[in-house]
Amino acid sequence: MPHKFRRILALARLLVLDGLRRHALLGLIALSLAAEAGGLLFFDFVSRDIGRASSDFVISIAWITGFIFLFFHAVQVMALDEERRVIYSLVARPISRGEYVLGIFTGLAFLLFLLNFLLGGLGLGTLLLIKGMVAPVYFSHLSLGAFLLAWTGLFTMQLMLLAVILLFSGLIRGNFPVLLVSLSFYAICSGLPVVRESVAQKMTASVDLARLSKLLLGLTAVFPDFHRLDFKNFIVAADSFPSLDLLLTGFGLALAYTTIFLWLAAVVYQRRDLQ
Amino acid sequence: MITFSSVWKTYAKEITAKAHTALGGVSFSLANGETLGLIGANGAGKSTCIKLVMDFIRPDQGSITVFDDQPRNHLLRRRIGYLPETASFPANLTVLDMLRYTGATCQMPPKAIRDKGAKLLTRLNLWEARKRPLRDYSKGMQQRANFAIALLHDPELLILDEPMSGLDPIGRADILALILELKQQGRSILFCSHILEDVDRVAGRVLLLHQGKSLFEGAPAALCEQTGRATLADGFLKLVQGENVHAA
Repeated sequence: MPHKFRRILALARLLVLDGLRRHALLGLIALSLAAEAGGLLFFDFVSRDIGRASSDFVISIAWITGFIFLFFHAVQVMALDEERRVIYSLVARPISRGEYVLGIFTGLAFLLFLLNFLLGGLGLGTLLLIKGMVAPVYFSHLSLGAFLLAWTGLFTMQLMLLAVILLFSGLIRGNFPVLLVSLSFYAICSGLPVVRESVAQKMTASVDLARLSKLLLGLTAVFPDFHRLDFKNFIVAADSFPSLDLLLTGFGLALAYTTIFLWLAAVVYQRRDLQ
Repeated sequence: MITFSSVWKTYAKEITAKAHTALGGVSFSLANGETLGLIGANGAGKSTCIKLVMDFIRPDQGSITVFDDQPRNHLLRRRIGYLPETASFPANLTVLDMLRYTGATCQMPPKAIRDKGAKLLTRLNLWEARKRPLRDYSKGMQQRANFAIALLHDPELLILDEPMSGLDPIGRADILALILELKQQGRSILFCSHILEDVDRVAGRVLLLHQGKSLFEGAPAALCEQTGRATLADGFLKLVQGENVHAA
């Protein structure tokens, strides 16, 4: 077992080094840090509820940055691997395809963690600064615990998406098709809860809608609801924290989804020709 | 060391391409300490054979054994040094990064990776360039870097896919000298090349593939004798052209 970990970590290390040396990624991080620091300007333009506006802004910047990282860098690393045959240089060593999948995931997850750590640190600093600059009535409450929880939820969502991208990279050749399919998957996951809510409201009017509602419920098994892990509203909410049940359900489901997608990706890579 | 037994491989039909049989019932073997050259025209199936040995792709029919085990056993690759046809590395990595990765996956201690890596890089004139990204290397330097990575863990079996591809005459001479040195060390070598003069110098036996079929397996001198030609290249041409006429 220790040898397996060593191989997985060796591959992860390669990906981390490659990512840290990519100018495009460094540019993305610099831009995101600048945008977050730009949140300091908010108090000049937003007169009410500056706390909520600022915290939403900080989390949104981190989400967009993670999004760009996942759909451009991560997709490129995995899909281009086969087109450029980098994958041959990597799996020509005594590393199994399952270990290859885990190594890729670990390396990219670590890069995502670094990205979130930097943005989270600066984001918290920005919020503390804004809170200090405005009157308490505009920014009354800032919970460090809720901030960390919101960021953990964000990071967990990104890891789920990373596992999905890994799976699609195994199933589909070419980075553009993988990008399209992954984006479509994300769009369905985002839209499904809204559709379900809409159907639920009109359900009493029609039997067909009741069947549709069940179908949509079944679809959430395949297209997870990312909003379960969205805790940003608690950052500035006074004396409010999500219940333990809610947290366990949300993170438990996310862990289950990530594990299943990774397992499927490993199975796909194990069986397919690397061609 | 390697046994191919009636191996078939067909690449599946795609929207832009028909199904294509890359190998049609090919059999050959490579014994311990032997050097086998795979020769053939483009599309003959040489790289397919190498990909099958390395478990990049799987056969449709037939069996392949490497060190008396299935190629799917990834731990076998601890005993194999692979040189790809096209050097492809993650863009921003250095040869040191790839050497550390190779050493770690082969369970070499860090000190052994450093020492052996330094020795190989010096031998291959890459020591001064060791910290430069691999993407900045010339073709010859990339090929030598590939060799360093392939030899780090002292493999018993070397698989070289077009080792002289794209090299200038000086680069070719360097690589050829290295291969001859490895051969003298008693390593088993399976390599494919278009440059038949080099194959003639290095290989103890050759396997001639044409459109997925084996046309000849044996010593280069035996091929010359069979075809009544003086050189391996002429013998190869005669066999292949004869096969084309027969097929027509």
